[in-house]
Amino acid sequence: MYPKFAVVGHPNKGKSSIVSALALDDTVRISDIPGTTTKQRSFPLKVDGKILYELLDTPGFQRARRVLTWLEKHDVPADKRYEVVEAFINEYRDDPKFNDEIELLTPIMEGAGIIYVVDGSKPYGEEYEAEMEILRWTGQPSMALINHIDETDYSQEWKRALGQYFKMVRTFNPMQTDKAQHISILESMAQLKEEWIAPVKQSIKLFERYQGQMLERSASSITKLLAESLSYVEKLSFDSEEVGDSDKHRVEENYKEQLRQMEIKTQKQIEKVWNHDHLQKEQTLLTFDGLDLFSEESASVFGLTRKELIITGATSGAVTGAGVDLLFAGHTLLLGGVVGALVGGAGAYFGFGELSEVKVLGQKLGKRYLQIGPMDNRNFPYILLGRAIFHAYHIATRSHALRDVEKLSMDSSFKEKWLDEDLRKSLEKYHKIFRSGDVVEAEVLKEYEVLIKGVLEKLIV
Amino acid sequence: MNLKSYLNLYQLLEVDTSSKEERRVFGLFDESLKNRPIEQLLKWLGIHDSKLKKPLLSEIFSSYLYGITLGVVLIAFFIGIFSGITLLSYNGHAPVNVVYFIAMVIFLPLVTMTLTLFSMLKAHKTQSVLVHLSPAYWLEKLLSFLPSKVRKNVDSIKINPLLTNWIVIKRSQFVALFFSLGLLLSLLAIVATKDIAFAWSTTLDITPEAFHHFLEALSIPWKTWLPSAVPSLELIEQSQYFRLGDRLSEEMVLHASKLGEWWKFLAMSTLFYAIILRFMMYLLSLFGLRSALKKSFLTLDGVQTLLSDMNEPIISTHAAQRSNDNNINTQGNLQIIEKLDNSYDIVQGWAMSKEGLEVLNDSMKVITPMVVDVGGTNTLREDTEIIHKSKGEVLLYVKAWEPPTMDFMDYLEELLVAEIDKVVIVPVGTVEESYKAADRFINIWIKKLSTVESEKLWLKR
Repeated sequence: MYPKFAVVGHPNKGKSSIVSALALDDTVRISDIPGTTTKQRSFPLKVDGKILYELLDTPGFQRARRVLTWLEKHDVPADKRYEVVEAFINEYRDDPKFNDEIELLTPIMEGAGIIYVVDGSKPYGEEYEAEMEILRWTGQPSMALINHIDETDYSQEWKRALGQYFKMVRTFNPMQTDKAQHISILESMAQLKEEWIAPVKQSIKLFERYQGQMLERSASSITKLLAESLSYVEKLSFDSEEVGDSDKHRVEENYKEQLRQMEIKTQKQIEKVWNHDHLQKEQTLLTFDGLDLFSEESASVFGLTRKELIITGATSGAVTGAGVDLLFAGHTLLLGGVVGALVGGAGAYFGFGELSEVKVLGQKLGKRYLQIGPMDNRNFPYILLGRAIFHAYHIATRSHALRDVEKLSMDSSFKEKWLDEDLRKSLEKYHKIFRSGDVVEAEVLKEYEVLIKGVLEKLIV
Repeated sequence: MNLKSYLNLYQLLEVDTSSKEERRVFGLFDESLKNRPIEQLLKWLGIHDSKLKKPLLSEIFSSYLYGITLGVVLIAFFIGIFSGITLLSYNGHAPVNVVYFIAMVIFLPLVTMTLTLFSMLKAHKTQSVLVHLSPAYWLEKLLSFLPSKVRKNVDSIKINPLLTNWIVIKRSQFVALFFSLGLLLSLLAIVATKDIAFAWSTTLDITPEAFHHFLEALSIPWKTWLPSAVPSLELIEQSQYFRLGDRLSEEMVLHASKLGEWWKFLAMSTLFYAIILRFMMYLLSLFGLRSALKKSFLTLDGVQTLLSDMNEPIISTHAAQRSNDNNINTQGNLQIIEKLDNSYDIVQGWAMSKEGLEVLNDSMKVITPMVVDVGGTNTLREDTEIIHKSKGEVLLYVKAWEPPTMDFMDYLEELLVAEIDKVVIVPVGTVEESYKAADRFINIWIKKLSTVESEKLWLKR
């Protein structure tokens, strides 16, 4: 039998937010209106269909005093109190008046551990005592979680009160949860009952593996985005004798649009991977409205500066040139390295502005078409990658308890968090392969994916 | 693993709607395949190929490829025969110059095989010039003459360029092999049916000794086990032909029967250089194609996701069902007041202490003869007694941040049917907020109290 944990408490104290954050599920209905949750809802941690533990979101106490009054009418010793609670459930199972209490007490009486949630940003109130007393009557292992819905802090008075009813009192903010906090709460839950320690510890390991899977899938999506967009070629057939500017403009616009769509598709994939399917985003950044993927501003925030780009190009060229020197055992007087650096640097310098040249192809074969791509711009991969990592980072670290609009605003310091010179050099090697438009082998993609996963791990974990 | 299975998988991935769970079940069914992705994919294909729409894309493509290959091979074979006949034709004036034939069966194959080796090395290029030089590639352009429906079907297949290049390379070897077989067949047929005087002639200043060394070098592969197929110095000397005088030398006429000995060398040269070496190139291309197929299998769109779905455990933490929307009906006309009166017949506080209520009255500048606390730690009986004592206008303070529970609503309902004229609910904030309630909390109270239909009920905003 796997451990079950019922998250219970007063209405509107963040039970659903806590469940949402712990279950990484953004479909939990969270509302200001009391009574939004009317049925218990199960959130099992499953591995290949096998449940390791189950979290239960329950309705809040509505008529705690009435329930307690009913219980206290029965004068029984402490070891028989749980039977009275069971009797209450049996008697009022079909009474709509006690629907919420029945819903929350039933899983507890079936063996679920109790996680009692209060809001530590509001003062302690005596009306909570009836609820805590009922939970004590159930005789089930329990802990209290102090949630902080607002800024103010009354946690000390809460701790004093809760300490009298629960053997463990922890603070947890579902809006700002991270992996360490998440694991720490799971570890506390494991302590509630000795036989739960092993399955919950196993769940923690799986939770870590799950996060690894999510990182891997995000890195894979980003890799695919980079490889596909850098090698992408847009073609436009035309029948007229001469190519007009409008045709060139059209093919260029189609090309840009395709790249944008690729980015949007990748972002959706990443949101799905992190269970943020229902996320609403601030669109300013993502629609490139005024801050276009191709604008100079975005280049400076997400991409490399011209100086960085030249250094990267020169270094990459020098490495290639050094290979030639090595081949000739140094008889080239290291000219290979020098020439490579010059060529690489110059390529980067001139490749800053242009996206890709629009070429007219197929003239001799009779079927003429305009072609743009693969990407010539040396900075584009860094812009696209910077944006993708920025997005993935925000999605991965966003709490599932949040229901507000995610504002992905640019931050010029973000680049420093993940991109250093060594990584830039490593990335450039792959960007060159992607830009060539040649077939990219699965192994190469895997190597790039490992680099991206490393970046995400550094940022997220 | 072959081209057909590649195309079937390509088609299957486009139409496949299998769930993650189905894929994982498949992965778990035979875990030994976990590290053998190709075998795993082929097994998956075997189980799901019934989902593919008939006629299969692979069948269309294979029949097209088979047709084209057969046509090109036949053409090459006949060209080989005619080339052989042309090269070996005796015009009655001069003997047949073996140099032409040597060039055709040794040098041409060696040059084309070298180019093939280069094209093999560059097969990963999307637009490999060397591959495009192949006759097989250009004959494939015959495709544009196919009926539009067939062309559309074939055009819709997006094959990995690496694979396309290897297909072209392999077929080029096959075509060249049949061309060489045509040459060999024509040589054998002509030798058997005609009496041909072979000779060698060149404008270059080459001595018979030098030519002998050269031919001996060419004959190394068969020299030891078939010495009769190596031209002797004597034969070379006797069969050197000078065009001056436009007639055969006496020496040649004297040894006319010996001149025919050349055919063995020509046949072995054709067999070794044009057929055996070409066959080895063909085997190499088969090997390359197999490796390209393997790589292409793993880079097919959707394959990596499929493999990871099969081999990675499904870890889920979210709820199995979506939450039910529980919309509270907030229709109703709650009466709102903006300002409190100076005095009330009774002031009550829900879950508040008497001392706290006194301070609150003072702060609100409210005078009252009676202050009582209700709810909280009161028993239900105590609350009922308070309701019975309540007369006239009742001011009921509530903690704004605590949403109205059904316990409160029960009390309010009872109060509203008692002998009172009016109940004014006042949601108040914390002491730190100077009792000023936040709008978001007041709105929750308004929504809930709107469900109560009573003219006696008022709310102070």
